[in-house]
Amino acid sequence: MSLRRPGPALTPAGRRLRPRDRYLPTLISIGTVLAVFLIVRQVVVSAEQWPRIKAQFFDLEAIIEVFPKVLKGFGINMYVWIIALVVIGVWALVLAVFRSLHGPWFTPLRVFAVVYIDLLRGLPSLLLVLLFGFGIPALRIPGLPGSSLFWGATAMVMSYSAYAAEVYRSGMDAVHDGQRAAAKALGLSQWQTLWFAILPQAVRNVIPSLLNLAVALQKDVALLSVVGVRDAVREAQIYTARTFNYSSLIAAALLFLVATIPMARLTDYVTQRDRERRLQRTT
Amino acid sequence: MRIRTLLLLAALAILLIVPVFAGGRQEEAEPESAGSSDYSESLEGTPDDPRLYEPGKLTVATGEPVYPPWMMDDDPAGGEGFENGIVYALAEELGFSRDDVVWVRVNFDEGIAPGAKPYDFNIQQFSVTEARREFVDFSIVYYQPQKAVVALPDTGLSDARSFADLREASWGATIGTTDLDYIETRIGAEDVAVYDDQVGTFQALMGGQIDATVISLPTALFATAVQIPDAVIAAVLPPDPNDQGHGLVFEKGNPIVPWINEGLQAIIADGVIDDLTQQYLVGSDAIPEITE
Repeated sequence: MSLRRPGPALTPAGRRLRPRDRYLPTLISIGTVLAVFLIVRQVVVSAEQWPRIKAQFFDLEAIIEVFPKVLKGFGINMYVWIIALVVIGVWALVLAVFRSLHGPWFTPLRVFAVVYIDLLRGLPSLLLVLLFGFGIPALRIPGLPGSSLFWGATAMVMSYSAYAAEVYRSGMDAVHDGQRAAAKALGLSQWQTLWFAILPQAVRNVIPSLLNLAVALQKDVALLSVVGVRDAVREAQIYTARTFNYSSLIAAALLFLVATIPMARLTDYVTQRDRERRLQRTT
Repeated sequence: MRIRTLLLLAALAILLIVPVFAGGRQEEAEPESAGSSDYSESLEGTPDDPRLYEPGKLTVATGEPVYPPWMMDDDPAGGEGFENGIVYALAEELGFSRDDVVWVRVNFDEGIAPGAKPYDFNIQQFSVTEARREFVDFSIVYYQPQKAVVALPDTGLSDARSFADLREASWGATIGTTDLDYIETRIGAEDVAVYDDQVGTFQALMGGQIDATVISLPTALFATAVQIPDAVIAAVLPPDPNDQGHGLVFEKGNPIVPWINEGLQAIIADGVIDDLTQQYLVGSDAIPEITE
């Protein structure tokens, strides 16, 4: 018994629509969108500044020239992003579990999680990247890696795991108390309750929010450029700084969009499915 | 209901967009009418020149912060230093009093970015290059520095004598500088780390993330003496044909360039810049030189 919306040809009452009522709204939508688009285009292109804007932002030759480098930098973005995602996914869950533990024995873990989350959520990611990327290597502690890529990525993981831990926690809080009581009634221990009853539901609850964070992280990896990592944004900036042509930034922007828009659609889709699942459950 | 909303949105969008472009056009038209009166033309080439950003004042931009020996104590108005020394000499040559020089602080990128600039010119060790000329105007060159390699002593770069010796090191430089171009195109190093500003480059050097960087010799002399005393000037590099030397940067098409150039030529001819070079920019000669 699905809750699908009624098809476009039927009114809620189930009566067939006349063709006029059926197609006219679509036609008007298409017409107005086209009209607005054409007017805007006309206004933009006829503007006195347009040739300059075009040369500085949409210079195809510059975009083609800089594209291989920006793409190579974007590879670094994706590489850091994927590794960070995996680490954040696990580390944030650990933090959320720490924070949700009951009992006096676990107080140190709980306090650690609370302090960690408060501290790292309260600091700008950029500050953390600078602190880790420049600060820690400057100590020159033997045995620690000196790579700014490593430390920059660590900073991003630290920062984002604080957010993700809170997302997980909200998911755990959203699991009905009855579930906990039921697990206890079945004789499950605290850990077993967490592992078999709470976490599977909690994670499912928060997947849309986590995906949202993942999209944000995908873009924020560009912050690593300040510690010398040549990511897509930095490669584009280098070209811009050399030629004052901003088309390279547009090239980087396009790459980010190609990566983030499908992610955003996926998030929408997962959210939608999740909503349908819940509605189904309540009916 | 939905259609009406759409139409309303469309109308709103048009209302919002049209004035932006129309407004832009009006603004551009104004200065022409102001500059064409006879009264204004007679003032050209004087401190009250209407073509100045603020007639009666010489509005000069520089970096934030500025470093010795180019300007001392991060205080352009103090007049101590090579570049602000030039500006005050130039202002005097053009007929401005000392108090008429107004300082504006902007970062390096802003200085060489195209677009309207809230000052007459920018002085911040900008190298004159052909590529940059497309977007900004330069004055004549007032100083041609040598480039130097700055590295930590344990990297062994002080023993380098050729580009091949240097190529293997890990390099870093500041974005938008000719130093970065030099490392990539002349030395031929790969995977050069690129930092936002000189401070970032020096921090990376001190943290051991990079072995070496290239900067102009006067900056290197000050940096190794004060900012990063652990580092040394490992070598002086052969000249860079792409870097024509330091010039003042103007907004593209700024009509005061010829007038400022006359002033610069006059103070160069008077030996003012040579004196300032002797006073601020000269170091020891005991640095090894690199050959190609």
